[in-house]
Amino acid sequence: ACGSSDKTGTSEGDSKGETQVLKIAFNQTEQHPQYKAMVEFGKSFEEKTNGKYKVEIFPNELLGAQRETVELVQSGTIAMSIVAGPLMENLNPDFAVFNLPYIFNSLDHQMSIINNPDIVSDLYASLEKERITVAAALHGGVRNVYNSEKPIQKPEDLKGMKIRIMESDTNVQMMERMGGTGTPMGQGEVYTAIQSGVLEGGENNELVFNDLKHVEIAPYYSYTQHLMIPDYLIINAELLAGMSEEDQKIFKEELSKAVDSEVEMFNKEVERAKAEAEAAGAKFNEVDLKAFQQAVQPLIDEKTSANENTKKLYEKIVENAQ
Amino acid sequence: MATAASVGLALLITLAMFLVLGAPIAVGVGLSSIVGMFMILPLEQGLLTAGQRMFTGMNSFSLLAIPFFVLAGVIMNNGGIAQRLINCAKVLSGRLPGSLAHTNIVANMLFGSISGSAVAAAAAMGSTMTDQQEKAGYKREFSAAVNIASAPTGMLIPPSNLMIVYSLASGGTSIAALFLGGYLPGVIWGLGCMIVAFFIAKKLGYKSEGKITWKVKFRYIWEAIPSLLLIVIVIGGILVGFFTATEGSAVAVVYSLLLSFIYRTVKIKDLPQILLESTKITCVVSFLIGISSIMSWVMSFTNIPALIAELLTSLTDSKIIILLIINVLLLIVGCFMDPTPAVLIFAPILLPIVTQLGIHPVHFGIIMVLNLSIGTITPPVGPVLFVGTKVAKLKLESVIKPLMPFFAVVIIVLIATTYIPEISMLIPKLAGLVK
Amino acid sequence: MYIYAKLMSSLQQQNIYFHRIVFSIHELDEVIFVETAKKWIDIVLGRICVALFTLLVILVSWQVITRLILHNPSLITEDLAKYSFVWLVLFGGALVFGERGHLAVVIVKEKLPRKLRIGAEILIELLTAFFAITVLTIGGMLATEIAWNQLSAALQIPIGYMYIAMPLSSFFILFYCVYNIYDVIKKRNNIELLN
Ligand code: NA
Ligand code: NA
Repeated sequence: ACGSSDKTGTSEGDSKGETQVLKIAFNQTEQHPQYKAMVEFGKSFEEKTNGKYKVEIFPNELLGAQRETVELVQSGTIAMSIVAGPLMENLNPDFAVFNLPYIFNSLDHQMSIINNPDIVSDLYASLEKERITVAAALHGGVRNVYNSEKPIQKPEDLKGMKIRIMESDTNVQMMERMGGTGTPMGQGEVYTAIQSGVLEGGENNELVFNDLKHVEIAPYYSYTQHLMIPDYLIINAELLAGMSEEDQKIFKEELSKAVDSEVEMFNKEVERAKAEAEAAGAKFNEVDLKAFQQAVQPLIDEKTSANENTKKLYEKIVENAQ
Repeated sequence: MATAASVGLALLITLAMFLVLGAPIAVGVGLSSIVGMFMILPLEQGLLTAGQRMFTGMNSFSLLAIPFFVLAGVIMNNGGIAQRLINCAKVLSGRLPGSLAHTNIVANMLFGSISGSAVAAAAAMGSTMTDQQEKAGYKREFSAAVNIASAPTGMLIPPSNLMIVYSLASGGTSIAALFLGGYLPGVIWGLGCMIVAFFIAKKLGYKSEGKITWKVKFRYIWEAIPSLLLIVIVIGGILVGFFTATEGSAVAVVYSLLLSFIYRTVKIKDLPQILLESTKITCVVSFLIGISSIMSWVMSFTNIPALIAELLTSLTDSKIIILLIINVLLLIVGCFMDPTPAVLIFAPILLPIVTQLGIHPVHFGIIMVLNLSIGTITPPVGPVLFVGTKVAKLKLESVIKPLMPFFAVVIIVLIATTYIPEISMLIPKLAGLVK
Repeated sequence: MYIYAKLMSSLQQQNIYFHRIVFSIHELDEVIFVETAKKWIDIVLGRICVALFTLLVILVSWQVITRLILHNPSLITEDLAKYSFVWLVLFGGALVFGERGHLAVVIVKEKLPRKLRIGAEILIELLTAFFAITVLTIGGMLATEIAWNQLSAALQIPIGYMYIAMPLSSFFILFYCVYNIYDVIKKRNNIELLN
C-alpha cells in the first residue's frame, strides 16, 4: 500500500471510495506564488478525480527544512515537496547546469527549457532509484544585486563590495567574476550586517528584497539578472507510478496549468514588490548585461564541460535561446 | 479534526503518564511522540521520521550558542569571577538598609549579564553571600530568599540559553532581538526584589555596611571591568551584526578562557574536566531539543496547534483573557517542569495563537521566559529554589514564607510585562531590530 | 486520578517480574564485569565528547577569524560544526543516561514505597531502552539508509554518514540501561542511594 494514504483521515472522505491525502511540504509562507499555485492545483486535481485525491500543503517549514523533506518524500511519509535547485545537485550533479549564472537569458527562455520533456525527461526521471520523480519545475524569480552605495552598471562598479550570496563554491566564483566579493551568510543576519557595514549588499529577487525590508538599508537595486534558479516539485516515485493512467494524465495536465499560472502570479508579485520598494526609496536601474555575461562566461564553460550529460543539456539550452 | 484531537489526546495522556512515573523527560517526550507517530504513519515511516527529526532538530547553527555559553559560564565559575562581581556590586548597591541583600541582588544581575544560567548564579552567589549576611546579623532564611528570588534575572538579562531555545522552537525569532528584549524585564525584576528587601530590612533593622573608601571602590570596579567587558564584546558584537549569536558565544569562550589564564585560576590540565562538565549540562538541554522536535513534527503533521487555537478562541476572543489563560497555564507548567522542555513543548502550540492576536514573537518569547523563570523558584520542582536552599544549608520549607513577598512583586512584573508590550519591545525597537 | 491508579496497577505487575530478576541476579551477587565495562565506556565516551567539544570551539573560532580578520569566509566550518555538535549531543546524551542525569519529574517516584520505587526505576530503564531501540537504532538506521546517496551541500559527503551517530549512541544508551538495572537491584535495600 502507498505510504501517503492518511490512515485516520478517511472518515471525512466521500462515500464512493477512500480519499488519498497528498501532503506537500513547502518552506515559505502562504503568500508565496508557489503556495498559491499549489492550492489551485490541489483544488482542480481533487475536483477532476472526483475527490479521490485531496492535497494538503504545509507552508513555513512545518514539516522540516527542504533537505529533510526530500527524505520524507523518499520514504513516502509525505507525497511531495518543493525544493530549490541547488539541493537537487546533491542528489544528482547534472541538475547543476540550471543553477549556473546567465544560463538563461530570459524568463521565457527558462520556461521553454525546464518543463520541456524532450530536454529534461531523462534528468527528471534520473532519481527514481532514490524513489523520487521530479513532477515539475517552477519559476523561482530572477536574482539581481542590490547595495547600499550606488547603482551598479558594469562589473567594475562592484569592486570592493561584499555581497551576501547563497553558500556555494560556484556562487563565490560567480560574484568574483561579477566584480564583487561573495560572502555567504544566513538570510536572517543580512539586514544588520548591511546596516553595520559588514556587508555592502545582497542579491535576490524583488520579493525578498522588499519583504525583508532590505530596501531600507540597501536601496540601489540593479538588474544584473545573474541567476534564475528553478524550484522543483518532487513526488514519491511509487506514489506517482501507483496512480491510474487516467489520474496520472489529470495530474500532469493540472500541474502544467499550475506551473504557468505560478509564473503569472510571480510576475504580479514582482510588480507589487517593486512598487512598494520604490515607495520606500528604492532606486531600480538597468545594467550593461553583456559585460556581466562575458565576465561570467568562463565559469559557465568550465562547469558545463564537467561531463557528457551536462554538456548535452547545455547545448540544448543554447539552441533554445531566444 | 478528529485526527488532531485523538493524536493530541494520546500525546497528552502518555506524556503525563511517563512524567508522573519519573522517566527522563526526554524519554517521555520521545515515547509519546512515537505513540503519535504510530497513529498517523505506518511503522517504518514513523520510526524513520522520528530518527530523522531527532537528528535534524539538533542540526542548527544557532543551537551551537548553547554549548558555548555553558562552557564560558563553567570557565568563569572556575575563574574567581564571581567574587569580583560581588565586590563590584557592593560599590553599586550603595548604603541602603540591608545593603548586603542588595549586593546579592545586584551581583546576581551582573552574573546574569555574563552567564546564561540562573542555577549557576544562585550557587555562586549564595555560597558566599549567605554567610556574610549571617555575620552581619541577617536571618539566613531572609538572605536565602533574596538570593533565590533574584537569581532568575540571569535568564532574562542576556545572554540567555532559554531564549536561544525559544528562538529555535518558535521557528527562528531573532536571538539578538530577544536578548535585547530581556534587559528591561530582567532589570525591573531585580529592582522589584530590591524594593521588597529594602522594606523588610528596614522593618527588621538591618543596617547598611560601613563606608567603603574611594580607593577600595576604585579597585573593586577596576577588577570587575575585564569580566564586564565581556558584555560589551559579546552582546555588542551580536547587536551590530559583527557576528552571529553563535559566533559571539564562541568569542565569549575564548575571552573567558584568556581571562582565567591571566588570573591563573584555570590551567591547561583543568580543561578536559571543564569540557566534560560543560558537555553534560549542554547535552541534557540539547538532547531534549532533538527529541522535542519529533513531537512538534507530529503536532504539525496533524495540525494540532490549529485545533488548540480554535478551541481557545472559541472560548473567548479577548486578547487580555487569552493572555491571562496562557500565563496561568505557563505558571502551573513551571511549577512542575524545567523551563527548557516547557518552551520546546509549548512555544510551537501557543505562538500561532498569540500572533493571531497581534502579539510580536519577541514579546511572547519574553512572556514565556519570564513565566518559566518564575517556575525555577516555585515548589515542588524548582532548580534555582533547590540550589539556593542547598547552598544556604536550609530546609526547603523554611524559605517558602520569606519568599512570599518576592513572589508577589515578581507576579506584578509578569503582569506588567504581559500587558505593556513596550517593556519587552522598547529596546529591540530602538536598536532597529524590530519594526 | 484514574491515570494514576492505572499506573499503579501496571507498576505492581512490573513488581512481580522484578522479583524474578532480583532472584536471578542475587545468585551472582557481584557482577564485576558490568562495573568494569561501565568504567571503560564512561572514559571512552568522555574522551570522544571532550574531543568533539574542542573541535567545536576551534571550528567556530576559525569561522569568526576567517570572516572578520582574513575576509575570506570558510565555507565548510558551519556545516562541520553543526554535525560535530549533533554527534557531541548524541554521545554526551548517552553519557548522561549513565549517570541518570537527564531531567525528570521525580516527586512522585521518590514518595513511592520501596518495592514500588524499585519497580518504577526498572520500568524507567526498560522504557529508555525501548526509546533507544525504536528512535535511535531503527529510526537512525532507516535514516542512514535513505540519505546514503544524498550529499551534504558544503561538505560533499553523504548525509547518511552523519546519521550513523544515532545507532552508535543507542548502543551506549542500551548498555547504560542494563547497568542501571543492575545498579538498582544492587542498591535495592538502600534505595535512597539512587537519588
Ligand atoms: Na543571562
Ligand atoms: Na517550579
